[in-house]
Formats: sequence, structure tokens, C-alpha cells
Amino acid sequence: MARSPKVAESAVDVVIVGSGAAGGMAAYTLTKAGVRCLILEAGRDYDPQAEVNMFAPESDAPLRGTGTPDKPFGYFDATVDGGWQVEGEPYTMTEGSDFRWWRPRMLGGRTNHWGRHVPRFGAYDFKPFSRDGLGVDWPIGYDDVAPFYDRVERMIGVNGGPIGLENHPDSPAGCLMPPPKPRVPEMLITAAAESLGIPVRAAHTAVLTRDMPDKVAPRSACFNATPCTRGCTIGAMFQTTTSLLPMAKATGKLRVVTDAMVSRVVMGARGRAAGVEYVDRKTGQRHQVTARAVVLAAGTGETTRLLLNSGEQGRGLANSSGELGRNLTDSTGASFSAFIPGLAGRPRYNEDGIGGQHIYIPFWLYEQQKRGELDFARGYHFEIGGRFGLPSSAALPRVWGKDLKQAVRNASGATIGLTLRGEMIPNKDTFCEIDPTVKDRFGIPVLRFAFRWSKHEVNQVAHGRRAAHSVFKRLNGTILDPDLPPEQIMTAGGEIIHELGTARMGADPKSSVVDSYGQTWDVDNVVLMDGATFASGPHKNPTLTILALALRASERLATRLSSGALA
Amino acid sequence: MTFTRRTTLQWLATATALSLANRGAAAAAAPQATGAPPPFKVVDWPASIAPMPATKGYGRDPDLTAPKVPWPLTLTKPQRATVDMLGDMILPADAASPGAGTLGVGAFIDEWISAPYPQQQADRAKVIAGLTWLDAQSRVLHGDAFTAATAAQRATLLDVLTVEVPSPAMAQPVAFMDRLRNLFVLGFYSLPEGKADMGYIGDQPTEGPYPGPTPEAQAHFATLLASLKLSMPSSSRA
Ligand SMILES: Cc1cc2nc3c(=O)[nH]c(=O)nc-3n(C[C@H](O)[C@H](O)[C@H](O)COP(=O)(O)OP(=O)(O)OC[C@H]3O[C@@H](n4cnc5c(N)ncnc54)[C@H](O)[C@@H]3O)c2cc1C
Ligand code: SF4
Repeated sequence: MARSPKVAESAVDVVIVGSGAAGGMAAYTLTKAGVRCLILEAGRDYDPQAEVNMFAPESDAPLRGTGTPDKPFGYFDATVDGGWQVEGEPYTMTEGSDFRWWRPRMLGGRTNHWGRHVPRFGAYDFKPFSRDGLGVDWPIGYDDVAPFYDRVERMIGVNGGPIGLENHPDSPAGCLMPPPKPRVPEMLITAAAESLGIPVRAAHTAVLTRDMPDKVAPRSACFNATPCTRGCTIGAMFQTTTSLLPMAKATGKLRVVTDAMVSRVVMGARGRAAGVEYVDRKTGQRHQVTARAVVLAAGTGETTRLLLNSGEQGRGLANSSGELGRNLTDSTGASFSAFIPGLAGRPRYNEDGIGGQHIYIPFWLYEQQKRGELDFARGYHFEIGGRFGLPSSAALPRVWGKDLKQAVRNASGATIGLTLRGEMIPNKDTFCEIDPTVKDRFGIPVLRFAFRWSKHEVNQVAHGRRAAHSVFKRLNGTILDPDLPPEQIMTAGGEIIHELGTARMGADPKSSVVDSYGQTWDVDNVVLMDGATFASGPHKNPTLTILALALRASERLATRLSSGALA
Repeated sequence: MTFTRRTTLQWLATATALSLANRGAAAAAAPQATGAPPPFKVVDWPASIAPMPATKGYGRDPDLTAPKVPWPLTLTKPQRATVDMLGDMILPADAASPGAGTLGVGAFIDEWISAPYPQQQADRAKVIAGLTWLDAQSRVLHGDAFTAATAAQRATLLDVLTVEVPSPAMAQPVAFMDRLRNLFVLGFYSLPEGKADMGYIGDQPTEGPYPGPTPEAQAHFATLLASLKLSMPSSSRA
């Protein structure tokens, strides 16, 4: 392995590490502002137009497309070169911890196969400490982020409707495309939930329901078929590879180097970063690039690892607060399902719609929570499932022959599911750090995770189960999920793939790693743009907020660059 | 068994093939072994099965536009014949679709149990041992292999393999049949013939906004609501 550092060819203003949601938005915003950017992406080059097999039936795939350790979310899933494990790039856990770390290694990162549910955070979500005395407040409030939400929704294409509930801000007119009509199981859940005082609303989903013309990267409205997790060659679902990245490239200001695994931030004079060092994943060769500013957008875990592996040995870079690696959160997760006899044998129709749910259940208990009537702080929501297709085996009786065929016909389209996603409050037992002994195949020290749910999360899931079951019972449903204690039905840490918070923002350099623009307090030309900066991890899926904050941070960085602040 | 499939995509989990593969065993296996024994002496469950030759999976970055099964199939001829026969019994031909064995779903079972992944290898242990047990039990009862028994004799065996509450001696045989049955359901209903049998309509690009339920489906829904004494949700009137 050649170790001599080599300086990259053409000069750049900003080097961006990662090309997913955060890196894609940074590249787009900065290049539009005239800034010369270089993206270093650890994964391989990836072209959804050429590589996605949109229409193949699962029966074309090995094992009918079933997930395996090689392709955990199914054969056709668009995750390249990774998943819960990446070859030669391990991570470790402290004893007693169960943490799953999802990593793709591809251009566009996780936007190529994500779930696309994009709720806005609300006023409470940015000021959780002020509401219940737990965790910390963000240094910004909803009003600071709202204009960026508006722009991001229009930029990436989001469909949805008004929500009109406490802590669930609505988008101003002109931000959202119209939502698709609900399907029968969704309407049925709505009727039952509403009768119990549980609201149901159109979900906000990053899928186009109208064409989005563009000279460089035109995107078409969803044609209501095909599984989105494979990726979308027509660009209807938001992925940076079919939108922000080609648009940024068209400015002529962006260069992308793939298979470039950044190992550390390299420091220069006056306490500023000079650039980064990366390893070519194919050759193992080390390179250095210099830039006026470094944007870290490698995803929460990798961004944190990079900082911990830079600067002072044992302490890391930008860690004068000691908060780097701490405050890790993931969403809580649990799934509930039921067989609904009234849906058995119902009339068939095309239930494909846009990929994923059309409606969802937002958290509705803020008043009770405020009054102290719940045994958990913070909220959860339900994502909704139920469609024609192969019923789960739990919905089939133990029979054979013509009875089994009839049972399958009956149960097809007769099971519904409610999937819980809830907020986790940071706790001192949940964090990541550098493993003192283990290194990856490039010789880069790996992350070690420690993870623990608290009573808040366990009680929250128990509450969610009671709520879900009350909806099922109102529909005379047979509950299919196993009767186990909440601790055993909860997903493992990291499994919901909403890892956040390990380089949190704040108003005070003593207790936070970055300011509200992602700029590290200690090194003013290192800017973090991914979920590492989140001061809390609300139950609402994070990516819309990652995009909004990356847009905000990028515009601020562009201004600083043009004003000569980082000369 | 973990719910590995990402549940943000849970609509899949209640609706597609993947759900069966991932959640099947959890719910359907581990039969409560407390029931009455069958009216014959149950033969012992095989102590071990032959190991499988080492093979490779498809890797983390296969060509998705040209899907291929890279591992060889490993069922012996007699095992495959038994599986095909079981397929035509478990999911028999009728007016709506052919039998699962005739349709070739046995090849899928072979592909599944020959795959080098942990879940599939665990299923292999169950299925191969189960096929061995089935033949042994058939020989004790009828003096011949399962495939050589009469239709009535085979049906009796399948009945005891699908009792609601098995006896302790039948726990493993019933768990084997649970798994095999679920694999047949997955293999059969993910084929075009199986989808047609379920009356599945979908996988068709529809330009313009999603049209939603048909008038017939709407009418059924309205009747269902009335029977449950629920009122029409405001969102579905749009
Ligand atoms: C199956 C699935 C479903 C999801 N569903 C939803 C959802 O419904 N709603 C939602 O809001 N969120 C969802 N998410 C989460 C969402 O994908 C992430 O929040 C989002 O992609 C994070 O963006 P990011 O830019 O921080 O990271 P990523 O998109 O992961 O991009 C990071 C990039 O950096 C690269 N990289 C990493 N380390 C290095 C390095 N050292 N050097 C160079 N490059 C590096 C990676 O290869 C990657 O391409 C889902 C995720 C998955 C996997
Ligand atoms: S359902 Fe729509 S958004 Fe999803 S992949 Fe298909 S066309 Fe694209």
C-alpha cells in the first residue's frame, strides 16, 4: 500500500465528504452559489437509470427477493456494497449493547433506497427541554427552519396535505404536491382510529405526484407501481443521484471522486482545517486534498468517526466540549398487525398507488403529555400498512389442500399493520467512541457503540401497542403480533436507521460541538451537515430536516466564502 | 427471528412475499406440544442430516438487471419427487390455478434450502430432516416410501402434520410441515399463476393521479363501515 500523500489535481473551495441527503444538498447549494466543490464519496459510482430493475417481479430474483445477509432488505433493494455489515469495515459494541449500523457504499448514499416519509419537526421538537426538562433545546426554533422546509419541499418534491395538529406544522400553499387518494385498508384504519379520537392525515412523502420539469434533471410523476426501495429511474422519488447531484454537476463547479474513503480531517495553520486525507478503496492508496472549507456529510456515525480520528489522539477534533460521540439516539420501533375478517375476500382493484403509505397517524397526545398523564415523555407516530398481496403466514391457519388455497385468497388484503416510530431521549449510556484496538481494512480505527433504551422508550412502545390494538379491536381484528413484553418487541438500537445527535448543535461551545449552522466551535472551516448535529431526535423521520439544515448551513458557508471570511 | 426488513416499508410486510419469509417462522413454528398423539407410534426425528457442500451467495453488489442464483441445487431426485408431490397436495390444482408441484415450486424449495445463508440453512435442516422422517414414518405405517403410499395414506399423514395442537412427539414434524407449507405459499403466490389465483391486480404503471378504489371496492367498504357502526372518514369522501 503506497502511503505517500498526493495532492489532488485542481483547486477547490470546499471538499464535501459524502453524497447522500446532506452532501447532495451541500453540493447543489454551494455550486449554485458559484463555489467550486469536490465530493469525496466512499461508495462506488452508481447510476439508477442503468442499474435499477424497476419492473422485474420478485420471482425473478434468488429466493423470491427475500432479504439475506448479502441484501438485508431484499434482493432488488438499491443498497450497494453494504447493509448492516460492510466488507472489511466492521464496528464494535460495548458489552450488553445491541446496535445495528446501516451503511451503503454508493453514490447518493441512503437516498437511493430510503422510505421517503418526510414530516416536518414542530415547535416542541426544537425546544424539548423547555417543555419537559429532559435533554437540551436546539439553538434554533421552528421559525428559523420553516423557510428552509418550504424551499426543500418544493425542491425535492413532496406530496401531502394539511395536518392542522399541535406540533405538526402545516406547509404554506405551494410547497406540497397533492397527496394520492387513500386505499381501502387506509380508509378503514382512518374510520376506526377517528372513532377512538386518534387522528389520521395524509402522509408527507418525497414522491412526485406531478411532473417536475428541469433542463438537466427532469423528473416525472410517480406512475403508481414498482417498489421504491429499488430506486426510481423516472426520478419520481427523491434521490440525490437523479436530482441534486446531476444539477450540481451541470454548473461545472462540481467534481465527484467515488471509492474515496475519507480517513481524517487534516489541520493547517491558524487552527483551520487544510483539507482531508482519503484512501482509494480500490487501490488502498492515500491521497490528500486541500480546500478552504471541509463539509462533513458522511452520515451521523461516519462524520463522528472522522472527527474522532482527526486532531488530537484520543480526544479527536472539534471536541473541546467532550460531547463528540455522546447523545446518540435512534427512533424507537415496533410493528403491530391484525387480520380483519371484514376485509376478507373484498373486491379486488389496483392498490399500488405511490410506493408506501398514503396516510399516517401523527402523534396526538401532546395535551395529555403536558398534563403529566402519560408515563413517557415525547411522542410517536404510526406508519400504516395493508394491501393486497401475499398475506403473512401468521394470518394463515394450519391447514393444507384446497382449504389453504382458500385461506390465502381470503387473507390477501385482509391484514393491516401499524408501525410505530417514536422519539428517544439521549441518555448517558448511549454513545459511540473509537474502539481502542479494532481497525478497518484501510487501517482506520472503527467505531464502538454503546446503546440502551430508557424507561421512557419502553413505556412509549407499550402505550403504542395498546393504541394500535385498540384500533384493531374496533375492527373486530385478530391480533397477529406475539404477546411479548415491550422490551422484546422493540427494535434494536440503530435498526430504524435514524441515528442522530453525536455532534450536537447548541448555543454554548461548552456543551455542544457545532453552532446552528453546523460550524464546529473549535475549527471554523469545518462544517457538519448531517444528522450528527441534531440536538434531539424527534419521532419524526429526520431527512427533511437534514436537508433543510444542510441548505441553511450551505448558504451560510457560501456567504462566508464570498465575503472572504475563510480566506 | 428478527424483523430485519425495514418497517418504514411495512406496507410490504403485510402484503408481499418478503413478509412470509421474514416473519413466517416466528408466528407459525414452535407449535404448542400438548395435544393428543396420532393413532400410531411416531418414529424418531432424525438425529442429524448430511452437511451441505460449501457454496457462495450472490454477494452485496450483484447485477440487479440480470438476477441469477449462483448456488447449485442440492435435493436428491427422490427428495425432489417427494417435495413436488407434497406441493401438489399442499396447494392442489383447482379451477383457479395449477398445483404447486406441477408448477415447479419444488425447484424454488430446492433453491431455498440450498442457499448458503443462515435462515435458509436452518430451513434446510428442518426440511431435509422432515423429508427423512416422512419416509421413515410412511415405511413403518405402509411398508413403503411416502411417494409410493396411496393418496388416502398420504392424506392421513398430512392431516397429522397439520393438527392445530400437536403432541410432544409430533412437535418437530409439525414444525417441519409449517415451514414447508409457508415456503410453498411464498414460492407459489409470488409466481404469475399464484398472483392470478389471488386475484391480484397491480404492477401496472398508471399515468396520472392514483385513481383509488373502484366503485365496487368503495361499495364494499361502505357496507363494512356500516356493519362496524363506523362513520365514513372525511378524507375518503374527497
Ligand atoms: C431503508 C431506509 C429507510 C429510510 N426511511 C426514511 C424515511 O422514511 N424518512 C426519513 O426521513 N429517513 C429515512 N431513512 C434515513 C435516511 O436515509 C437518512 O436520514 C439520510 O439518508 C441521511 O442522509 P446523510 O446524507 O446524512 O447520509 P447518507 O444518505 O447515508 O449519505 C452519506 C454518504 O457518505 C458516504 N460516506 C460515509 N463515510 C464516508 C467517508 N469516510 N468518506 C467518504 N464518504 C463517506 C456514504 O457512502 C454515503 O454515500 C431511511 C434509511 C433507510 C436505509
Ligand atoms: S412507485 Fe412511483 S416513486 Fe416509487 S419507484 Fe415506482 S414510479 Fe418511482
